[in-house]
Amino acid sequence: MFDSLFNALPVALQFGSVVSLFVGTLVGILIGALPGLNPVMAIALMLPLTYGFDPVIALGLVAGIYNGSMYGGAIPAILLKIPGTPAAIATTFDGYPMTRNGQGGLALKTACWSSAIGGIISAIALMTLAPLLAQVTLAFGPTEYFWVAVFGLVSIAVLVGSDISKGMLSALLGVIIGLVGVDTISGAERYTFDSLYLSGGFDLIIVLIGLYAIPPVLEMAEKSNATYYDAGSFKVDASGNALGLIRQHWRTWTRSSLIGVSVGILPGAGGNLAALLSYNEAKRKSTNPESFGTGNPVGVAAAESGNSADNASAMIPSLTLGIPGNLVAALVLGALMIHGLQPGPQLFTKSPDVVFGFMWQMLFTAMLLLLLGGMVATRLFAQVLRMPTALLVPTTLVLMAVGVYTVKGNMTDLYVMLAFGLLGYLLHRLAFPLAPVVLGVLLGPMAEQNLRLAMLISQDNWGSLFTRPISQGIIALLLMVLFTQAWKILRKGRQN
Amino acid sequence: MNFRDIISGIAFLIFGCTVVWVGSGFDAGAAYVPMGVGILMCLFSLSLIVKGVVQTQQNGGLSSAAALIDHPGRFMATVACCLIYYLAMPTVGFYSTSTLFIILLALVLGERRPIVVLGITVGFIILLYGLFAMVLKRPLPVEFFLVS
Repeated sequence: MFDSLFNALPVALQFGSVVSLFVGTLVGILIGALPGLNPVMAIALMLPLTYGFDPVIALGLVAGIYNGSMYGGAIPAILLKIPGTPAAIATTFDGYPMTRNGQGGLALKTACWSSAIGGIISAIALMTLAPLLAQVTLAFGPTEYFWVAVFGLVSIAVLVGSDISKGMLSALLGVIIGLVGVDTISGAERYTFDSLYLSGGFDLIIVLIGLYAIPPVLEMAEKSNATYYDAGSFKVDASGNALGLIRQHWRTWTRSSLIGVSVGILPGAGGNLAALLSYNEAKRKSTNPESFGTGNPVGVAAAESGNSADNASAMIPSLTLGIPGNLVAALVLGALMIHGLQPGPQLFTKSPDVVFGFMWQMLFTAMLLLLLGGMVATRLFAQVLRMPTALLVPTTLVLMAVGVYTVKGNMTDLYVMLAFGLLGYLLHRLAFPLAPVVLGVLLGPMAEQNLRLAMLISQDNWGSLFTRPISQGIIALLLMVLFTQAWKILRKGRQN
Repeated sequence: MNFRDIISGIAFLIFGCTVVWVGSGFDAGAAYVPMGVGILMCLFSLSLIVKGVVQTQQNGGLSSAAALIDHPGRFMATVACCLIYYLAMPTVGFYSTSTLFIILLALVLGERRPIVVLGITVGFIILLYGLFAMVLKRPLPVEFFLVS
């Protein structure tokens, strides 16, 4: 299996792939630096454009955007106390006070190195753990895949957001959206209401752009008052040398990266959780915890390495099981399917160049941050914050329109995207988490297909779902997640 | 959030019941999962409604939720501009409609510097043209002045 990893190295280093890594990382840093735009939106917008590309190039862009945006999010977090992405919230705690203390340059450099180190460690974890897990999953049948899909869906529904009922309702809504169209087993039309458009089902990319990209743009439009940031905010001095940073932060980077990798593997937990856990751990271990929050560079190092270490590791369950750990992982699955590749253990044997090439791309883009995220480049990237939101809103909406239109060349898709956007806006404002909806669209049909296959094989013996040892293990994990969450709620209720 | 939870719970309950009702007409194999999902949706909606009612009683009928839409005017204007943009695109053409859409929405959202609006719009449209027409060669709705 590891031979394939090294055989894929030349694929990841071919000209087209290298260009996509550079472009993706640059775009990612820019997107991350713009508050309101997020990597999910950027990747969702970019995917339709890659239909005609080689999958290696498409995935190179995804890797670049993902790693780039995690660092990009730190730029406004440090300079303006506005997290560019949700994962950069913990970076504001010490990053902004450092800017106020005249150490903005050092904070940006620390963030850049920390993001790169976190991304590199995460990519190494992906390269070593994913092939091993893929070997294990070769023993999985439809029953196991059904339970894995249910586990992924339920754990995201109960872990994301503050209310289990809302999380579950979001996930179930996603499953229903995913079921619309012709049933692949019986050929029956479901929830199509005799519409030709609906019989093909909803395209994942259109649902995703609608649910995830439109609500933040609408919110931006509401807040827009044609103001733009003062140029004085972006003046940063270059300070801190690389060797000094390594000596000062290597322990924090190691600890936070391990936290980020562990969090990334868990479904539902995102970069923001990894960053907050890493920050708290760094503060707990510090001999001077009072300095955290007042401009301690260790706080920036912990938050940034933690959130970036979540990136590649979130791909482990996604590539091996076809169960995305987060929304970007769901998009990677979407990208693979767009290019006719089926995620799961077979991917490692059928298309090793693509899957292992992607792992190398995750590693290279993390390294590219050091090159592209340097002080001069960071100063340039910070200028993107001058773009007035009154113009950012229509240009982003045009990008969405062209991205969605190019999927099938169908104008109806634009109206469907807008409808999902309004639904997403409403759900968001009513405190329903959106991630379970998207994962429901993806995992619902997968769970159903495997359930029905399992029933066909066992001749409608429902007991067969519970008898296989691996299935029992997954059920035990599922119950553990549910009981842990129920225990937390009970404890919170007692405290109140 | 309590009243909103009750109302959204009722909406999901109605939706769940509809899913079950429509799903009951499917073939046996194709009906299991939709009906199961619909029933689960009804159960979780009921839980949300009950929780909302209990919280409302505890708060004495008061709700401290923020407005559902912060600036209804800007929100509606953006959505309306999008609809007009989509409607006009097939007849007017992609690049022309997009140019007008960006300028119009920027003005609606309060941007009043003509050089900034025109500069960014023209630059952005040239970038899109370069990417879609010259590099990717993707067919987009044809401009009205090019239709023969």
